[in-house]
Amino acid sequence: MRGISAHRTKLVVTALTAVMLLIAGCSGNNNGANSAASSGGSSSEPASQEGASVSYPITTDQTLTYWAEYNTTKSTIDEVPFFQEWQKRTGVPLKFTSPPAGQSKDALNILLASGDLPDMIEYDWFNFPGGPEKAIADGYILRLNDAIDKYAPNLKKYLQEHPEIDKMLKTDNGSYYTFPFLRGDPLLQVYQGPIVRGDWLEELGLQTPETIDEWHTVLKAFKEQKGATAPLSFQMSFLNEGAFVGAFNASRVWYQEDGVVKYGPMQSGYKDFLNTFHNWYDEGLLDKNIANVDGKALDANITTGATGATVHNSGSGIGKWTPLLVENDPKAKLTAAPYPVINKGDIPKFGQKDPIYTTGTNVAITSKAKNVELAARLLDYGYSDEGHMYFNFGQEGLSYEMKGDLPTYTDLLMNNPEKLSPSQAMSLYIRANYGGPFVQDKRYIKQYLTLPEQQSALEVWTKTDVDKYKIPQVTPTPEEASELAQIMNDVNTLIDEMTLKIILGNEKVDAYDGYMEKLKSLKIDRAIEIQQAALDRYNKR
Amino acid sequence: MNKATFSGRLFRDFITNKYLYLMMLPVVAYYAVFQYAPMYGVLIAFKDYSPLKGIMGSPWAGLEHFKAFFDSYYFLRVLKNTVIISVYSLLFEFPAPILLALMINEVRSRRYRNLVQTVTYMPYFISMIVIAGLIRDFTDSGGVVNTLYSYFGGDGTSMLQQSGLFRPLYILSEIWQKIGWESIIYLAALMAIDQEQYEAARIDGAGRLKQMWYVTLPGILPTIVILFILRMGNLLNVGFEKIILLYNPVIYDKADVISSFVYRKGLLEFSWSYSTAVGVFNSLINLTLLVLANWISKRVSNNSLW
Repeated sequence: MRGISAHRTKLVVTALTAVMLLIAGCSGNNNGANSAASSGGSSSEPASQEGASVSYPITTDQTLTYWAEYNTTKSTIDEVPFFQEWQKRTGVPLKFTSPPAGQSKDALNILLASGDLPDMIEYDWFNFPGGPEKAIADGYILRLNDAIDKYAPNLKKYLQEHPEIDKMLKTDNGSYYTFPFLRGDPLLQVYQGPIVRGDWLEELGLQTPETIDEWHTVLKAFKEQKGATAPLSFQMSFLNEGAFVGAFNASRVWYQEDGVVKYGPMQSGYKDFLNTFHNWYDEGLLDKNIANVDGKALDANITTGATGATVHNSGSGIGKWTPLLVENDPKAKLTAAPYPVINKGDIPKFGQKDPIYTTGTNVAITSKAKNVELAARLLDYGYSDEGHMYFNFGQEGLSYEMKGDLPTYTDLLMNNPEKLSPSQAMSLYIRANYGGPFVQDKRYIKQYLTLPEQQSALEVWTKTDVDKYKIPQVTPTPEEASELAQIMNDVNTLIDEMTLKIILGNEKVDAYDGYMEKLKSLKIDRAIEIQQAALDRYNKR
Repeated sequence: MNKATFSGRLFRDFITNKYLYLMMLPVVAYYAVFQYAPMYGVLIAFKDYSPLKGIMGSPWAGLEHFKAFFDSYYFLRVLKNTVIISVYSLLFEFPAPILLALMINEVRSRRYRNLVQTVTYMPYFISMIVIAGLIRDFTDSGGVVNTLYSYFGGDGTSMLQQSGLFRPLYILSEIWQKIGWESIIYLAALMAIDQEQYEAARIDGAGRLKQMWYVTLPGILPTIVILFILRMGNLLNVGFEKIILLYNPVIYDKADVISSFVYRKGLLEFSWSYSTAVGVFNSLINLTLLVLANWISKRVSNNSLW
């Protein structure tokens, strides 16, 4: 009896031990699988060698999540052929989420507040409130120095070859925070400037205006002889790059002169600018609805011939309006005018010129990323030779064909059978016209700008001194950044209000001085101090 | 002894009415889970909130965010604008549906009545962004409303660029949008009035105007008072959607309200704590006004929420 019982006990113990061993073994295996997954995607893959490049497609069974705003004719990002093929080529399955068009900031706000972050977020991380260092410190996104070093050999190589770009991409602390969108050629950095109806100029026997006085003559002629009801019309924000304001040695935004930070509206020239524009408004040369002009209103003004001059982009301006104008008037032509100056022959001080690192569409890996290596490898693809071709030109035989050395876009993009405009069609197959984690190729812009006016526009608009005066991508510390944001919020309200009120004549030009007093009480001096310190740190990098 | 009796009574009540209590449970749970529980989120107004640290984990900031709001250069202006727009809409927009309901009530032709109701409801169902687009098009130079206005002394510049016109435009368009919808509740109240009262009034020789004044209006007065009190509780809540769709920097001095200011400053800068602090401030003022209106109404007319 006793023996049997003892025997039984032994059996039970053995069985239990076996079970426990099994469990331990299983969990051991699980751990192994997990660590393999978190360091290398899948164990069978030679990719895990640090710093080495991998051969795409990578084999993995993990699906990563990707958040991005993307304007497309398809109803969701998943249906866009570019993104489907991107997953195939890299081997990394993706799940996309996308905010409603134009609401990315609100949507990201809610996303971050929820704490439920996807693996990757494509956003303007440089302009994240508080700056990129804050986004890292608050734990939304990862400092990428390690990941880039180990898992992004292509980007790393590019940055080693271009130290001046490397400097832009880092914060003062030397942190990388995104996989950037980079403009691969100066031709790609300039795309905006003053535009006039070239056919009207020819008809009236006028030259393309260069000085403010010439502009006055031209606008007056447009009004009186061409019946333009709003000869000059634009969205106010398009003056931020310095069109017209720049002629008066001022600017709507920050700039620098010999390493000293200046706030544009505080320069005495800003008052002269307001005075001139107020006069133009009184004379009926400026759109009467100037405070309310949005994209739609501007389209209507230009295409109905109410407006003969504006400030806009070569693609979404000249390229969009010219075909519409030509339908009614085969002679119609929109030509670029140089940024206005006071004295003939002067070189404009300001003009639109994107930095090589444009901050719009950069991809960060979030702190909740399940597999940093896999995400980094996916994002690094765009900087490889193959990825470069894919992001800029798409799939050979479908969206481009090699003609000699030149990858040439097919009719699918340029002359779409479904009547999509080139930019709509492009956004389905390539990302060159939208941005993303890759280096943009100038062979894109040369084909995208089909009109001769667009080609020459770039040359006209490039001739400015903006490189000397533009503030580079400085990064205030998180505390400074939030203080700066607080100050600038009130300051911008004040300046926007003042600018329009004086131009519209609701207040006299001399009210400018009173506003400058108020600006002082909004602590603008502190804002200048912060910007100056950030610039000094940048220059020392 | 008293206590024991109370709990004893409560217990007995539980037993006798257990099914009623059971039926009440979902409602109580709803309020507990969706109305009361989230209230602890108010804490973030007193903290430097960061979602990843959570509400409890974020560091305390004290009254910092309230101070930032009160110290803001534009605090007085946005407060003033908010109050003025609210008071105007109380004065002009609140009575409009009452008048409409009274008028509809007097219409004898059924088909005409239905037509009027349908037409006045319609704008309520159009999305705000479309409404704002319509308003902008109508009031720009060359728009319908602007052209009409120029016959009465307007100078043809876009009406939304003239700060003096913003409030009238805002209130008028509010009335246009909501008059039909808000008149429904009054029409319902009108149906409930006893027809015999009208008969009695007619026998006493009251005309239609007198009937309206002595029978109809007193009949719907409780409804009006209750809606008025509720309205007081929303005094500072001028919605930002319509404002930010309509305003521009030229008319900030009349059009910028607390919610649009917070939208620019708080939400777009991702300052959740700051926005919450402003929200708490709004709620406190609203609550005070609500209690005050209720107290006055109780004194004056014996109608009240509680």
